[in-house]
Amino acid sequence: MNILLYLVILLLGAYIGYKNLLNDFLSKNIGDIQNYALFLLLFIMGINIGVDDNVIKYFGVIGYQSVVLAVFSIIFSILMVKLVAKTITTEEEGVENDG
Amino acid sequence: MTGRIILSVALGIIIGIFVFPQAAEAYMGIMIDIGLCLLLFFVGIDIGKQGNILKKIKKMGFKVLLVPLMVAIGSISGAILGGLLLGLPINEAGAIGAGFGWYSLSAIELSKHSAELGALAFITNISREVIALISIPFIAKYIGRLEAIAPAGATAMDTTLPVISRSTDGNIAVIAFITGVALSSLVPILVPTLMIILK
Repeated sequence: MNILLYLVILLLGAYIGYKNLLNDFLSKNIGDIQNYALFLLLFIMGINIGVDDNVIKYFGVIGYQSVVLAVFSIIFSILMVKLVAKTITTEEEGVENDG
Repeated sequence: MTGRIILSVALGIIIGIFVFPQAAEAYMGIMIDIGLCLLLFFVGIDIGKQGNILKKIKKMGFKVLLVPLMVAIGSISGAILGGLLLGLPINEAGAIGAGFGWYSLSAIELSKHSAELGALAFITNISREVIALISIPFIAKYIGRLEAIAPAGATAMDTTLPVISRSTDGNIAVIAFITGVALSSLVPILVPTLMIILK
């Protein structure tokens, strides 16, 4: 299962971050490195969408309906989380601080 | 951040359409997996730097699970409402919403009913993932950090987690991962169930 692999990698990273095992250069530039790695991943994800002929074919036909459904799902999810956000974050200090 | 995210995805889509042959699709999965593992490692470092997060999570306890619960309710009810505007049956719209952005699984599940419904689930949930990637930094900044998990849905444990982590902090990244895992486990149960009970 992928979930297990993700969890192991996250925990490995967390251990290294927690124990501060990175060297100075990596430690100082980790934010930039992460950003560039992220843009690379997003670029590859974009290619994955564009290279699939079905996505482009169907998007022309049902794209409008799909976007309506996706946007409504997203907006309602945000509103629902907003309802409980205070009860979760007030108990946990540090959440509002800039990380 | 949002501008550069849009640029990266858009550039990829354009190159995917015009440069890469369809045959390249076979290699995309592994490329994404490698990239994702690298980024999740970085997310892990962010989480570790925050100190003892396990303690904080324990303090929050079961309240953490309110986030996936609320995202599930919001996604399904939102899709049903959007579906009503489009004239879709309630059970079909609800089931598509219960894909929570996991497009491959929801599409496979719903193509058992009809190819059209499978295609709609596929494109809707891809759209959700792309809109999530673009909107998360904006939501984190102007609406709230916890709310930034909401658009991601099931993808909060993988593809959108790096964006959430970059836009918020290690604490929220942990809650996002838990939310993604919880929602992902619900997809295979809720999608077929909603097709039946909302009929």
